[in-house]
Amino acid sequence: MAVLTFTLSEEGVTAFRDALNCLSKFSEDVSIEARKDSFFLSTMNTSKSAYASFRFATSRFFGRYQYQGTGPFQEKFFCSMYIRGLASLFRSRSGVESRSEGDKQSIIDRCDVAIEDGEGVKSRFIARIIFRNGLTATHRLPFEVSMPVHAKFNKQEALYHWSISSRTLKQLVDHFGPGTEYLDINTDGDHVNFTCFSEKTISDDAVLKKPLHTSIAVETDEFDDIDVEDKLQIVVSIKDVRAITQHAAITGNAIVARYSLPARPMQISYSGDAISCEFLIMTVGERGGNPEKRTKKVRKGAANKGSNSISKAMPHLEETSRRASSTPSQTMADIQRKQAASPSMPPPSSSRQPPNPTPRLSAARASASRIGAFDFRPSQRPPPPTLRSESLFVEDEAWEPVRDDDEDADEDARLEWDHSADPVSFPLQSSRSWLEANVRKNPSVSHIGRGDDVRPSGYEPTEEAQPTAAESTFLDPTQRLSDVQGLALFPD
Amino acid sequence: MRFHSDLKNIRTFAKLTAAFSALEKLVWLRLSDDTAHFTVVPDTGSQIWSALPMDFLFENCTIQSAEPGNTINLELSLQPLHRALKSAQNSISASLRLTKKKGVPVLSMTITTTTSRPSHGNAPAPSRPSHDDPFGDDDDFPSAHLETSLRREHEKIITQDIPIRVLHPDTVASTVQPVLQEPDVHIQLPPLLQLKSISDRFTKLALASNGSNKSPRLEISANMHGGLRVRIATETADISSAWTDLDNPELDPAQLRVPIEDHPSTKFRDRGPDSWASIYVDGKDWSRVLSAGRLEGRVIACFCHNHSLVLYVYIPHYDDAGGDDAVLTYHVQAYTA
Repeated sequence: MAVLTFTLSEEGVTAFRDALNCLSKFSEDVSIEARKDSFFLSTMNTSKSAYASFRFATSRFFGRYQYQGTGPFQEKFFCSMYIRGLASLFRSRSGVESRSEGDKQSIIDRCDVAIEDGEGVKSRFIARIIFRNGLTATHRLPFEVSMPVHAKFNKQEALYHWSISSRTLKQLVDHFGPGTEYLDINTDGDHVNFTCFSEKTISDDAVLKKPLHTSIAVETDEFDDIDVEDKLQIVVSIKDVRAITQHAAITGNAIVARYSLPARPMQISYSGDAISCEFLIMTVGERGGNPEKRTKKVRKGAANKGSNSISKAMPHLEETSRRASSTPSQTMADIQRKQAASPSMPPPSSSRQPPNPTPRLSAARASASRIGAFDFRPSQRPPPPTLRSESLFVEDEAWEPVRDDDEDADEDARLEWDHSADPVSFPLQSSRSWLEANVRKNPSVSHIGRGDDVRPSGYEPTEEAQPTAAESTFLDPTQRLSDVQGLALFPD
Repeated sequence: MRFHSDLKNIRTFAKLTAAFSALEKLVWLRLSDDTAHFTVVPDTGSQIWSALPMDFLFENCTIQSAEPGNTINLELSLQPLHRALKSAQNSISASLRLTKKKGVPVLSMTITTTTSRPSHGNAPAPSRPSHDDPFGDDDDFPSAHLETSLRREHEKIITQDIPIRVLHPDTVASTVQPVLQEPDVHIQLPPLLQLKSISDRFTKLALASNGSNKSPRLEISANMHGGLRVRIATETADISSAWTDLDNPELDPAQLRVPIEDHPSTKFRDRGPDSWASIYVDGKDWSRVLSAGRLEGRVIACFCHNHSLVLYVYIPHYDDAGGDDAVLTYHVQAYTA
């Protein structure tokens, strides 16, 4: 019997797919958690340095939503699924406005989902997709019943925050070239600097293989509100930020970032239409000389709205007690270690004015005067384009050189995420443990795996050791003849 | 060694780098007081040699170098340069400066720009204002959303550091431009997108029918009577496309080393429309060469029968209609029959 049934409208399918796409940039699996009145998708990356979660307002987001808890799932149901499998159901055929009339017929009209589980019932995620042309496709996906892992964020600890339009942030992030790993966010007087850099050590003769080093100075005025320690440097993974801003720009709402010190997590949150999104990403970095000084600016109204959406975002986040590691002395030790690991950033370009020694309100006042100036400067408009392609980074396909089909196979494979299984290589030992310490697990849940992938919970630490044991006793479904000739089935 | 300059014609610069990077990852840039030489010399395949007037891409330029002729030789990676130039498109201003960061020389591009803001938080506004409507010029200043229009004009300063290598004059001395011969046939090529899609189709066809990894050879021929042919011959197929009524531009006798009546092209013209100058090119390399079409310039092809093919690509100014055209010289890798 169905534990959970819900219906996604056409827009719902799109929003669901967008969320899954975003999650897929963090991990391969998504955790689904459903209660009577809430529905979550969440994931944590393998290095446990990033956590993403989407909360759907059941009454507004779903056309129909019914939760019937039984047995072990009296209160809530949870399971984990392979994102790629789930996302592929909703891919391609929906969306895009510019399609021809014929194609429009194959747009997804709605999607009915039923999750079945319980005794004597196969655990299946059943999606019935109804296309506009009347076709109905039913997919039955297996899932693994495993307790979702949630990272918690202590808002009391987050002394600093800023919020900015997600589209503005996306446009900034678009300027960063490929090949970089880290994003450094620091404040300097009335500017916030976003610097994108790589730490890969490169030999002298390969110096030209270095990626573009990009730094963007944004006036604090650009932010809806901001309250950050001056000269504080916070470094996060650019890959995570890209994934977040890409999704956030779809919603178009303001992004709020909350953080405290380097090596403590940063919370990024925003809300979409009936969705609240929250991300926790680990930081490294270093602190400026004077923690007293703040870069601050508050826009009335915007601030209230921002904090509201956050408190709505993750009501289930439990208060986490401040751990000893946040005492000043240890934090400094942390920072020094980080400094050793990551050479300090060059000071921001000296062409800008020196840091403003007047604390607090100065920035706000400066911005106020700027607003009063009504700076209509027609000259600032970009020159009208003389040619067609205007989008910032769209390439003109027609001019690309011809390629072999073999080469094409690699590039055209529709992979939307990095499969190199290269976990974000943050130098984050101490910070990682923080997330781990906040991980909730429930070992008592029975496991129904996909394929042969059943593993006891709390199993991860010995993962590496397992394959050797397995090799001797198991055979893959298909083998080379030469490999099995010695076995009884194939006597010499 | 010092170099700093404001950038102009950024669109053209970005298109140039895109055309260069079709052939090679790296470009050798030689800057001097009046010329910027961009040279692309891959290990194998076609080469690009160009000498652009400094004021084509740069203005308010300062160069100081201890090297003879006040020149600076740089090697830079095209991908970051191209990316940085794309960032600079639609900017308010952009400048380039040779500097050192952490002891490593870089070409630092400073861009002043704004981000466009949607007028409503929730409306799925286009990311960029549309310029299709000739009367819609003032759309960027909607009087109704005063606060929005005030807030969208915030300037941002973007610094893009492009990794470079400073080359010693001795290092580059061995790289010399191939000798140019008086051509047998010179002809203005048809629109390159057309030529490219047909050539690419032939190349793919040959790749599919051959099955081998050998890159197919296209035969390119032209005469002095407005004719151009592209032909592919495989074991099972022989296809060719022909263009007619193309322009064979007049030569300027003042620029010739031989009297015009002794010029090889005059002889080819006199021999009539059946006199073709032909050359074989590598299909994939030719496709990369034809990426030059993105520059949207006039292209003159100069054939030396069974010897060489040189393309001259005249680059128009997009941002400055009055300026002189600049020329790229493509030495196409050519094979004899």
